[in-house]
Amino acid sequence: MNNFSLGKNVWSYVVLIGISLFVIMPLSVAVTQSFMTNQEVNRWPPKLIPTEPTLDSYEQVVTQEDIRLDLWLRNSLIAASGYTLAVLVLCAPAAYAFARLKFPGNNIIFAILLVTIMIPQQVTLIPNYLLMRDLQWLDTFNALIFPGAANVFGVFLLRQFFIQIPAELEEAAVLDGASYFGRFWHVILPLSTNALVALGIFVFLGHYNDLFWPLIVTNSLETRTLPVGLQVLNSSYAGNFRPMVLAGAILSTIPILIVYILFQRRIIQGVMLTGMGGR
Amino acid sequence: MFKRLSFVTTLVILAALILVVPVMAQDEEPTADVSVLGSGDISISFWNGLTGSDGVTLNEMLANFVAENPEITVTTEIVAWNDLYAKLQAAFVAGNPPDVFMLHASEVPQFGSYGVLKDLGPWYTSGGGWFPDDDISESTLNGMMYEGTLVAIPLDNHGRGLWINVDMFEAAGLDPDMDPPTTYEGWVDLFQQLTLDADGNNAASPDFDPENVVQWGYAVGEWPRVNFLGALAQQGGSLVSEDGSTVTVNSEAGITALQQAVDLVYEYNVSPPEAGFDTWNAFGAGTLAVIPTGTWFRNQAETFSDINSRAWPAPQFGPEPGTWFGAHAWMVPASLEGEKLDAVETLIQWVSENQVAWAASGQVPARLSAQAALDADNYPSNILLGQGFSDYGVLDYGHVAIQEMYAALDPELSEALNGLKTVEEALNDAAERMQAVLDRN
Amino acid sequence: MSQSSTMTTPGRPKRRFPFEIDLKRREWIAAYLFLAPFLLFFSVFVVRAVIAAVEMSFYDWQILRPTRPFVGLDNYNELLNDDVWWISLKNTLVFTVMTVTGTTILGLVSAVAVTRPIKGQGFYRVLLYMPSLLSVGAVGLIWVWLLNTQFGVINYILSFIGIRPINWLGEPELVLPALSLTTIWWTFGFPMLIFIAGLQAIPQQLYEAARIDGANGLQIFFRITLPLLRPTILFVTVTGVISHFQVFGQPLIMTTGGPGRSSYTVIYYLYQIAWTAFRMGYGAAVAVALAVIMALMTLFQFIFINRRVEY
Repeated sequence: MNNFSLGKNVWSYVVLIGISLFVIMPLSVAVTQSFMTNQEVNRWPPKLIPTEPTLDSYEQVVTQEDIRLDLWLRNSLIAASGYTLAVLVLCAPAAYAFARLKFPGNNIIFAILLVTIMIPQQVTLIPNYLLMRDLQWLDTFNALIFPGAANVFGVFLLRQFFIQIPAELEEAAVLDGASYFGRFWHVILPLSTNALVALGIFVFLGHYNDLFWPLIVTNSLETRTLPVGLQVLNSSYAGNFRPMVLAGAILSTIPILIVYILFQRRIIQGVMLTGMGGR
Repeated sequence: MFKRLSFVTTLVILAALILVVPVMAQDEEPTADVSVLGSGDISISFWNGLTGSDGVTLNEMLANFVAENPEITVTTEIVAWNDLYAKLQAAFVAGNPPDVFMLHASEVPQFGSYGVLKDLGPWYTSGGGWFPDDDISESTLNGMMYEGTLVAIPLDNHGRGLWINVDMFEAAGLDPDMDPPTTYEGWVDLFQQLTLDADGNNAASPDFDPENVVQWGYAVGEWPRVNFLGALAQQGGSLVSEDGSTVTVNSEAGITALQQAVDLVYEYNVSPPEAGFDTWNAFGAGTLAVIPTGTWFRNQAETFSDINSRAWPAPQFGPEPGTWFGAHAWMVPASLEGEKLDAVETLIQWVSENQVAWAASGQVPARLSAQAALDADNYPSNILLGQGFSDYGVLDYGHVAIQEMYAALDPELSEALNGLKTVEEALNDAAERMQAVLDRN
Repeated sequence: MSQSSTMTTPGRPKRRFPFEIDLKRREWIAAYLFLAPFLLFFSVFVVRAVIAAVEMSFYDWQILRPTRPFVGLDNYNELLNDDVWWISLKNTLVFTVMTVTGTTILGLVSAVAVTRPIKGQGFYRVLLYMPSLLSVGAVGLIWVWLLNTQFGVINYILSFIGIRPINWLGEPELVLPALSLTTIWWTFGFPMLIFIAGLQAIPQQLYEAARIDGANGLQIFFRITLPLLRPTILFVTVTGVISHFQVFGQPLIMTTGGPGRSSYTVIYYLYQIAWTAFRMGYGAAVAVALAVIMALMTLFQFIFINRRVEY
């Protein structure tokens, strides 16, 4: 075990404090402004700390009739959770094949996957929209969950992790007569919890903040997600109700912050277990 | 074993989220960017880009409408204008457009040329209907037409004017009730008196330090395009030649109009450059005396700062007065028929007959009779600016590729207003690009 | 024994027993079965649309126009002569190089620091990832304010050391660095997490052995950590280029491409073509050209980073 002496790690602290300041400064401006009045935000020289902190903007954003954070949040959580589930289920086996199995076309198929995600969604939107219509998926959660579920980033990330797992571990399972699926399920997956949780977080967050596609394919309050709602909030009020818009952004970030804190601990656990058991 | 457990736990938690979360927040009364109003059997969908106080006002009107027409349910959906264009295109191409939607007069030709708009001629009195042709200005009426067919019903006129900081006027010894100047020199003089450096010298003073301005007289940055279009009209110029074949922004008139704006920044130091300056923010913070903005500023001015402000007419820099205005207009997909079409007609007719209420959004009702009925104490800015639109306003230019032409013009105006190109260069480049768009369509 | 090593050790001389061929076949079948669900979704929702987009690029395809004439390579020809495309491409390249370099280095440094045995590891992991939780709308709202010439906190702080207000988003040579700084702040949490995971996969014995041999911290970092992180670095830079090359929300919200066209990026321009002008055919040509350029860059990265391993 390493010693915890300050001397050895002094540079780590210096670096971390420096980076933390860079991260905190903009965040703290947003947070303090959300507790100001509309008038106080518009002051010169800028006020860094509200003279009389007020919760008015939070009250406004929760009670204002045209802002429905609760519904938007519910829809976003449903869509992002469903999407994350779908991505993990689809990507893990595919990544296993790319990382550990030899088959004709391995590299070519992988290259094709990478190239296709370089075509931006602005031009694939119309074909996909027509497909949603034909499947009768417009204005449903299916349209928010499945079209992006074959996530190439996910395959790429998991593939890179699976490659790093020592081959001997799998060979031991083969000696025990394990099938390919058995090796995947009993050897690779347990060693990759950290990667799976990490991927889960990334795709969850990415989807949670997705704007353009949900805006086009949803029409009702039953499917409208947070970013779409906040976009309207932003374009309606950013000019004159800045604290309220910031309060909306902060409130909508809290749920994913909680999700992140919960699962982030899991990453550390997964990594620690791998380290002790594997090597 | 543990490791897979945590993976499985993750999946279980996600699955649980899907199942549990819907239970939260149910049985709510929906009123939001998507609003379902009423509970009648005939359900119509209505898309628009009226974010902010416009949308609030309209939804209030629609709530009254469904109360009087219980057989109809209206589902309104508000998205920002740019997103609305994309959403409408996708919906039309998929064959499931909304039952009624709102755009601007300038986009009438674009959607008209796609052949997706219903002929609304029969709804006008000239076609035997209920909407009086002669109760809107002639330019507004023309804006509703594509190739001789009336395809839209106007809701309002919204356009350009000024808001002034009354206290700053008084501090500079100026009377906020005075008649606004009618020449460029007069306006420059006014702005100079309202532009102060850190030592309190105004921009006309020989000691003025242009590097250290704490109060600006004017700002060229809020929506430079419509400022330019207004100024262009004042100089007797136009965006496109009479026959619609040639772009004329780089005419003598265009160059003078843009040069005057550029000079406010670089010659007279009474305005900051276009980029990196937030005009609303500055006006609210009391560092900007005169803000060029529009009818929509009425409700904002009251809410976002304690500045004592009021509306002024659009500035006249050229020989003639002139200001830009647009018109929000109802449009109906050509495919709509039957009881839904009747319900949509009922809706539009009801709103048209209650247009006075729309003034609460800050915009000017399109119908002249509604304008005349406005109460002068509550709606001074609507009346003042609306008068300008009727007297000397130029309606936003309508063209099948108007958005694309503006997308070519905007960056060139920005180049000039940030001192990156000369006015001639910028307008010549703009004309060349816009001409290419014009020729292609 | 020989069966298992045939399957997992590459480069063995091939034997020609029928039994072995069957094993190989079995592995193929297994591989395709593992891939099948993914490829099914991928074909239906991605490949289909991409093929449609490529096809569109050969047509004058305007969304609602009744006719869509075939124009061959005209769209690509127009692209070659379109100066806005070239300006946008140059801006995008500059932005991507700055941003990928910044996020990779900041992510790596943060990850190294946070995986040292220090107090508050969990706290830093959460704090440093917090910007990544925001939507681009919120990021734009915050940073436009910070960078504002007159009211911006950045200029306010600089004023205490006597620096005159800087027009961060209004100067052509500053606007891309300013957008890049914003983006680095927003997105470096992702590479940081990936690097944390990658660092913890490196066996501790290697570090201990190096320390016994008398290597200092920097030597260990450059001789052991960095080479062993190669797959991770490859992943971070490849995905970084792919995502930052498609930068869109930041210029849209923060600068609308200005001043002039100084912060036009390819996707911003593509958005205008496709969704302001509705010229899907030309937009598709821009998209295809962009994909080709990104594919070449990715190929270059794979070759470059893989070659560095040799020594």
